[in-house]
Amino acid sequence: MPAVKPLRRTTTDTDVLTEEAVETQRPWNVVVWNDPVTPMSVVVVIFKKIFGYSNNKATHLMMTVHHEGRAIVWSGNRERAESYCVKLQVAGLQCTIEQEQ
Amino acid sequence: MEVRLNDLGRAAAREAFGHVVAAERDPEHEWHPGLNPPIDPSHDQDDPLATLHRQQEIATNAELAVMTLGEEFLNDAEAWAWLSTLQVALRSTAIANGLLSDERLAACDQELLDFVHTIQQLLFELAECF
Repeated sequence: MPAVKPLRRTTTDTDVLTEEAVETQRPWNVVVWNDPVTPMSVVVVIFKKIFGYSNNKATHLMMTVHHEGRAIVWSGNRERAESYCVKLQVAGLQCTIEQEQ
Repeated sequence: MEVRLNDLGRAAAREAFGHVVAAERDPEHEWHPGLNPPIDPSHDQDDPLATLHRQQEIATNAELAVMTLGEEFLNDAEAWAWLSTLQVALRSTAIANGLLSDERLAACDQELLDFVHTIQQLLFELAECF
């Protein structure tokens, strides 16, 4: 039985992602920043309330904020990242969004 | 949630809630910058709809907190409004007074430190209820 040669796939313009497409696909991070006045227990409550995180996960993220100065608490599309950031700011935390590098 | 605050505690809460309500309405209020931080610092301006939504939510929480100041019991939404508004008040106080490091906090005047500690204590106790 003759071997079947694999088809050579020709590249087209649609196969190559443009820089813009790659740019928009990079996820957006929600970043919470440390400050000297916010009680740690309040940060945990806020993370649990807004994200529905378990106590363990919320505490782990809070400790990351505390020790490293900031923590990425959520990652995904820009619209949702912005919405979460607003919720965290409404709850009184220092928060921003940034696109992953 | 049962509210067990003495007159001093309610006075501190009243002051904090009142300032947040005032700061939302008055761009000249010293706490106003603390209520309008950037969402995406990589852009010159944030999405106006997002900032408007934030403004409305902070105001709604603060107004609910003011309305329920005299209550003996709070439901979940009211307790969340108290916690959020107290936390906003705490951060706004810190920003307005440059308390952005442990050193600056330790060096601030006693009256300001007392206010910060009172709000923090209220927050500690509220957080235990969630």
